[in-house]
Parts: sequence; structure tokens; C-alpha cells
Amino acid sequence: MRSTQRVVSADTPEKIGHYSDPPLLVLASLASGPKHGHSMIEDIERLCGTRLGPGTLYGAIGRLEQQGWIEPLPVEERRQPYRITAEGMSVLRAKLTTLQRFAKSGLKRLELL
Amino acid sequence: MNPRLARLLTRIYPVSWRERYGAEFEELLETGRGGVRMVANVAWSGLRERIFPIRGLTPNRDTVPGRFHSLCAGAPWAIFSLAPLSLLAGCYIAACLILWIGWTMFLPGSDTPFGGGPQHGLANLYFQFGKYFYGCAPILVGWAVAVVAVRQRAKAVWPLTGFVLVAWIGAAARIRASRTEIPGGLGHIRMDFALWPWVQNGHESLVHALVILSLAVLPYLLWRIQIARTTLS
Repeated sequence: MRSTQRVVSADTPEKIGHYSDPPLLVLASLASGPKHGHSMIEDIERLCGTRLGPGTLYGAIGRLEQQGWIEPLPVEERRQPYRITAEGMSVLRAKLTTLQRFAKSGLKRLELL
Repeated sequence: MNPRLARLLTRIYPVSWRERYGAEFEELLETGRGGVRMVANVAWSGLRERIFPIRGLTPNRDTVPGRFHSLCAGAPWAIFSLAPLSLLAGCYIAACLILWIGWTMFLPGSDTPFGGGPQHGLANLYFQFGKYFYGCAPILVGWAVAVVAVRQRAKAVWPLTGFVLVAWIGAAARIRASRTEIPGGLGHIRMDFALWPWVQNGHESLVHALVILSLAVLPYLLWRIQIARTTLS
């Protein structure tokens, strides 16, 4: 899975700090229920402001499915919904906990400045 | 997005990937926003998928012929040592042929095609092409070894053997062509191979071998790093 990285190439201040770790974003999106590709893109954009490209999204989906962290549900018309697995949930929880700890420490350091 | 463009973009991905995700991906492209950025995103991701395919999808009968896969597993020495050497030999024969045709066509009266030849025009272009083909042949063969190793998930020792052999031969090979010095032989052209080129030809050959090795091994190395990163995270 790709490492956590901050997108800092945007010009406007509100865009600085967008979170871009596609597999983690997909897991976070599926944590609220099964979704297909288009819903995931919209949900992730609402969640953190990052709009994933279709190639990036399916790159993440493929690797998450391969690792058994998400699984496909029966096809609805041509749309393929996915849901997070129990293993995916625990991975997401572990990653978010680490991020939370990291964010807390980072913000504490900023307060000291 | 136009369904035809969506289908075209999906074709950038490998067959095994398309079989699994093609229909839903096409649907997503058709209903989603278009634009250059999106096309670039899909093109880049498709090429990335070809270079670093998802492991579970790779052993697909349509992309990897079963017989070839078993040959790679059963006789890796043939696939990663004999085959690259044969391919390189084929490239060198083609390079000699290019040289001979150019020599006959553009320099019929000269003793050798090397040095003092034409400096411009079609002849120059022709000889430059032949020269680069000859120079790049070991690297191209090395890349072919890397592609097979990646697709077949071969143990590192086999492609590395292939890279070393190809670099060695690449540094050891010398083309000689002269009507007076090589009176016999095929078209007065001969290829010499030094067993220990760096001993006979000095440091230049060693540097040449290392350059070929580095360039040939680079795509394979990138793939190994990618795999290591995926495993670690």
C-alpha cells in the first residue's frame, strides 16, 4: 500500500493538506457501507477534498482486493459494489489510530512554537 | 465520456486486469467526468499496471501461456541464460547484416566501413541507426529478461544471471570489418569475443559492462523495490 503523503502542490490554502493515500481513502469510504466506484469517488471527495482519478481508484481497489481487505458484492447493472472485510476494518482502525497519534503529537509540537 | 474512448482507455490495461475490472471500469469512465487530466490518470495507471501487475491476476492463461510458464519454472536456465544469449546473437547477426548492406551500398570502394565514411545524408543516418542498434542490443535483451522475470515471478538469481551474461557479452563483443585484414569470412566482417574483456581491453570494457548491467537491471530493480514496499506496508 502507498505511504501516507500530503498533497502540497495546490495553490490555494484550503487545498493544502489534502490527504492522498488512495487505499486508505477507499477503506475509509467503504467503512460507511458498500459502494461502487463512482460513489467512492464522490464520498472520498466529500470526506477529505481529494478527488481520485478512475485509474488511481481502481489501482487501489485491485490491491485492496488482492490483500483481502475489500470484497466485491453482486453486480448491480454494470456497477460493481465493494464492501470492506473484517480484516480491512482492523487494518483501517490500526492505520487511523497511528495517524491520530501522529496528528496529536504534531499539533502539540505546533502549539509549543 | 464517449464509450469508444472509454473502451480505448481500458485497453491500456493488461488482459487479465480487463477481464476482472474491465466492465465496471468502462462504466465508471463512461459516467464520470472526462478531460485531459482524467485521460492522463487512466493512461498512467494502465501503464503502471502493465509494469507492476497485481499479483493475483498475473497467472492468467490469456496473458501467460501455460507452456511458457511451466518452461520458466522447470528450465529457468534456458529462459534466462540460453534464450537471452540466442536473442543477443540474433541482434548481432542483424547488426552485421546492416553493416554489410551499408558498406556495399554506400562505401563500395573502401577497405573498411569504420572511419573515414560519409558524414552526412542518408548513409550517415543508416550507419548511425546500425551503430545504436548494435550498442543498445544488450540493454534491450536485458529488458526482455526483466519483463519475463516480472511476469513469471522468477527467482531473482535467474534474471540476474541473464543480466550478467548479457552485459558480459555486450562488453566482450567487437565487430571487425576490413577487406584486406579479413580476406575470408562472411562479407569481410567478423565478430570477436574476448573472454575477459576488461583484462584484454582495459577499464573501458569494464565500464561498458557495468553501464549495460545497470541499464538492463534498472526496470527489474524498480519492480523489486515496488514489491518490497507493498510487502512492508
